[in-house]
Amino acid sequence: MSESILLTDISPDTLSEAVQLLDGWDVKQVPAEQLPRAVGGGTENGVRAVLIESEDPTILRSTIERAHAANIPVVVACADDVARRRAVELKAEEWYRCPPTPEEVAQRIRAAVGRGAPHLATAVDRVERVEYEQLLHDSLTGLPTLPVMIEQSRALFKERGELVVLYLNFVRYSKIEEIYGWEKLDAVLETTAAAVREFLEDTALSTSRLMVSFTNDDDFIFFHVPAAGVAAASENEITEIVTRLQRHVGGRIEAQHGEEIAALFDIYVGRAHVYYNPKIRLERLIYRGIREAANASRSIETRERARRVADLRTSLRDRSVYVDYHPIVVTETREIFGYEALARGVMRSLRSPEVMFDVAAEADLVWELSRLCRSRAIEGIETRLRPNELLFLNVDPHDFNDPAFNEHEVKYPTRVVIEITERTAIKDYPKFRERLKSFREKGFRFAVDDAGSGYAGLGSIANLEPDFIKLDISLINAIDTNFLKQNLVETMVRFANDHGAKVIAEGVEHAEEFNTVRDLGVHLVQGFFLHRPSTLPVASPAKSLVGN
Amino acid sequence: MTPAKKPPILVVDDNPDNAEIIRQYLEIRGYPTTVAHSGDEALALFETIQPAVVLLDVMMPGRDGWEVCRVMKQHPTLGRSVRVVMVTALDELRDKHEALQTGADDYVEKPFDLPSLAATVERNLKMRRAKAS
Repeated sequence: MSESILLTDISPDTLSEAVQLLDGWDVKQVPAEQLPRAVGGGTENGVRAVLIESEDPTILRSTIERAHAANIPVVVACADDVARRRAVELKAEEWYRCPPTPEEVAQRIRAAVGRGAPHLATAVDRVERVEYEQLLHDSLTGLPTLPVMIEQSRALFKERGELVVLYLNFVRYSKIEEIYGWEKLDAVLETTAAAVREFLEDTALSTSRLMVSFTNDDDFIFFHVPAAGVAAASENEITEIVTRLQRHVGGRIEAQHGEEIAALFDIYVGRAHVYYNPKIRLERLIYRGIREAANASRSIETRERARRVADLRTSLRDRSVYVDYHPIVVTETREIFGYEALARGVMRSLRSPEVMFDVAAEADLVWELSRLCRSRAIEGIETRLRPNELLFLNVDPHDFNDPAFNEHEVKYPTRVVIEITERTAIKDYPKFRERLKSFREKGFRFAVDDAGSGYAGLGSIANLEPDFIKLDISLINAIDTNFLKQNLVETMVRFANDHGAKVIAEGVEHAEEFNTVRDLGVHLVQGFFLHRPSTLPVASPAKSLVGN
Repeated sequence: MTPAKKPPILVVDDNPDNAEIIRQYLEIRGYPTTVAHSGDEALALFETIQPAVVLLDVMMPGRDGWEVCRVMKQHPTLGRSVRVVMVTALDELRDKHEALQTGADDYVEKPFDLPSLAATVERNLKMRRAKAS
């Protein structure tokens, strides 16, 4: 590459600065009229680009033609617009207007070479390389994918004769994506991978050769090949390591992404011990090991789920569900407007409302759980909220089929806003609207939750005639840096104003996000930037927790 | 006498006339601008140019703008810092969601006027600087 020559009719003195910016280039100057012939020499003379200043159309044309015949890109220095037009017409790779800065000259030459000769082949090669790179290494975590890992461990496995596969099954990571959007899950996976790597350096496994793979979804696979003279980690050791790993990863995620997200997921680890067998193809042995470890992790998951269902039944019987109230404030004044009720299990395993309802769905206990959560939340209107504050209550559209849920169930209908998620497809709109009508007549108000997440268009939101439109969290996450999100929120605000509804932005975590949604005209805001959810004290109504 | 160095822009449009008009307009404003006429060419130039902002036409034969955006945004070293502006008529909400999915940062509605295009470039560069610091 150090032999790159720039053939030109411009004096090398003028170009010296630009050429310095191009690493490893030399300038070869020839008089303009000799350029076409010099170019004819082609790339074997080391000529990688031609820079021409001559305004003589004949010289320009024949230089470009000959250069292209020899697969050499051409940059034209243009004194005026006529020259520029000519350069474009003659299909010079690049041009610049005189006088240029040295940076610009360098940039043009670089671009010309980049797009230059054997044009299409290079282009396709480079694109393929970027794509293959993505197939081999996960761009988020930098971890190798499975095929790479198998290749890397082949020799080692053969030499040591055994390999332990650990399969880390992260449950409910998909939920993070569903609620917060893919950008959030990407960030969480990145944290996870870093935490896992950091943790493993400190464990008994670190003495062995260890490789980590990321299967491009949300599970991780470790290959543990014991070092020479060291026994493979025992079952007990691994169990102990796994417990600590879970705690470590959970802690890191909580520190970086908050407890709501940390409470969402679980890690189940399955293990398989694979012994080298010369009769069987090595990659098949490894794949079988992975499958065995994955199955093991699933059966642990199943056991754990059964335990949680039992926990849930106990919770329902003892009514051990409590409610955290998450303030919703008026954007302009930051005064508390109302609270969203977030039901949580008293038992540790059921802390997260998403987990609790997941378990309930499995055990067919959704209505029972919903009833308990509703009545717990509504109790708070009397005991915890101040007279002018509203209670936002999450209600699944399926709950409207529950005979126990009706417009007479609640004592203070005018203080309750029912949140309906846009995610659950509402099949029969006319019937659903009829049902909402009877609630509305009692004084209930409605909010469409997760709006603008791409599930439903504005038309179906309008169909529900909501009093509030709650924007999807993924739209608010880093909205200050993304103009597309800003545009979408602006559209939603305009739509709400036209329909007499108020827009609520939830998941506002940073000052920048708050300022952006305020400037976009969002009426109400909810999020950690202002308040965390809390159990409000009984009997003494909440003080107005105006943020600073 | 060297004016403050402005960051490079990559303009991707399969219509050479459009691309030239944008390029000229941006160059007069001091942005070193490179033009690519297809998605493949854009990706081939991506590593060499290391653009700060990519103005990306969506409707192109072969690799369309969405695909190009996705690949650029996943680039191991350049993906995080590049700002991708889709140039298209995204009147449907659905299109905007698709744009968000691919990781695009902004969009300019077609047909656009050049001053608003320059303003879009400007605000994305500002955001890029803010993020870097």
